[in-house]
Amino acid sequence: MNWREFQSMQRVAQLGDRFISYLDEGTGEPVILIHGIPVWGYLWHALTPALAKQNRVLAPDLLGFGYSDKSDCFDRSIARQAEMIDAWMDKIGIERAHIVAHDIGGGVALRLATLFPHRVMRLCVMNTVCYDSWPIEAMLQFGHPETRRKLSAASAITMLKQALKQGFAKSPDDELLDSLLVPYTTEVGKLSLIRNAAALNTNLTTEITALLPKIEAPTLILWGEDDLFQLVKYGERLARDIPGAQLVRVKDARHFLMLDQPDEVAEHVSAFLKGEQVETAHAG
Amino acid sequence: MLGFGKQKQVTEYEADGESERVYHEIKQTLRVTGINLNFRTWAGYEKFFPAMWDAMRPLAETRAFETAADCVRAEAVRAADKLLRLENQSRAALGESQAYQLRAALDLYQYINPKLLVFTSAVKLALDGAQPERGGKASADVELIERGVPARMYPMEMVSSEPEEERIKELFEDIKQTLSLSSINSDYRTLALWPDYLSAGWKKLKPIVQGDEFKRASDNLRETARKLAHTLPFPVPLSRERLEELGEDADEIATTTEKFERLLPSLIINIALFSLDWKTPETLVQSPFPARPRRNAVQGGAR
Repeated sequence: MNWREFQSMQRVAQLGDRFISYLDEGTGEPVILIHGIPVWGYLWHALTPALAKQNRVLAPDLLGFGYSDKSDCFDRSIARQAEMIDAWMDKIGIERAHIVAHDIGGGVALRLATLFPHRVMRLCVMNTVCYDSWPIEAMLQFGHPETRRKLSAASAITMLKQALKQGFAKSPDDELLDSLLVPYTTEVGKLSLIRNAAALNTNLTTEITALLPKIEAPTLILWGEDDLFQLVKYGERLARDIPGAQLVRVKDARHFLMLDQPDEVAEHVSAFLKGEQVETAHAG
Repeated sequence: MLGFGKQKQVTEYEADGESERVYHEIKQTLRVTGINLNFRTWAGYEKFFPAMWDAMRPLAETRAFETAADCVRAEAVRAADKLLRLENQSRAALGESQAYQLRAALDLYQYINPKLLVFTSAVKLALDGAQPERGGKASADVELIERGVPARMYPMEMVSSEPEEERIKELFEDIKQTLSLSSINSDYRTLALWPDYLSAGWKKLKPIVQGDEFKRASDNLRETARKLAHTLPFPVPLSRERLEELGEDADEIATTTEKFERLLPSLIINIALFSLDWKTPETLVQSPFPARPRRNAVQGGAR
């Protein structure tokens, strides 16, 4: 599926003065896929077809990201994003859902699992931000207010493409990178992404550390074990802190494990959502 | 070909110093999420631009100015309603979210373009040495409208004026050639976020804009804007002499301003034509973002 097809399948929900775009495919128990920075819901395009065979797959673009609201003057923190997911679930009539999340989307998911536990059936986080693992240097720099003036949208995309390449085990093709970054190719998109980066705040994961042992939702932690952005040691710590959590290391995968090893990741997630044991030689 | 002066446009991203200050004030005062081609072009005249804005700002925040723009919008919709409908079939392929955003983008331009025309007409009047007939009212007698961008207004997102995608490049060239533009307007650059939609819409629009009925409607709209600019409550302390004192090329600025005044009516009608595919004329004659009086807003009037 190319990004245009994905975009044209997105639905929209108005939440107060803001709106979010989201994919809604398949039937069955709902699973919400939450992307990270600096991408959008298209991150999940390779995983969606497999999951949609057994689940209702919902993949929102977080506020300020992708084709959700990119206007000015609203909070883009992971705390606000978790509240947004909560409000959006109400809006579309979903009481509980499985949550599958990556990068800062994982931070949103951890906040949902600790602060809105009634919303979460099963939790799967992938190379997630947690504790003090973030923001990584590149995003810290990108979120500086002067970035707006220093980088045109075109230069920002060139820089982000270079950075993103390090998130893959095998060099991705240009078309994939372009598709992951396409919402940010305009000046408005660039500015929105800078604001998103400026809103990254470690305190929003460190403050829930003490709550992690209280998570009751069955939890799977998938980790592209060669990730340079979010090191696997954080996954190990999460597996120790969340009761019953299973850590699965995905070989030959870095940060974007669902694109490095789409079949393996789809298999693990599908099995986990069905309540089956996730079989792997690399389980941590 | 309508050239917009010799100066380079100043994009929002490039603006600094006085341009940045004025861009901020424009967005707050005109209640808009971005800076249109008029202002980006005027900003190329770096002494003129802040002087022009400081002269115009007291007018731009009045109810009279907002009402004048409302009249222009309503006339444009009525004129567009008499023309052929675009009935752009490609809207069906947009999907729910993109259709929602496209409608929001049309609302943005439906709102701001009539304000730009009245604004431009008032600047032109001043540069021609004419002043509003009722100019000179005490500011205390004039109602002001609230400041700030309406919460649900779409950001003025647009593709580059020099797009990489070949089909958009060709489309922009055709629009520029047909409408005798030297630069592509923000409106078309925004609609190019949905290239299939713009392409199909432009195919329908092109013969319409070349017709006599469209030209008459554009001329009438320009006349209306000029008349309304004449009725605004304050004089505009701006003149060719003032521009010369500032060391600016007054003739070139006057010519550029006149070109914008010539261009904007057709743009307003075009946006009305695109919008008529989505909304009824009765809805479109209303302002998409009505402004509350500033005093009530300060006193906590209902949202």
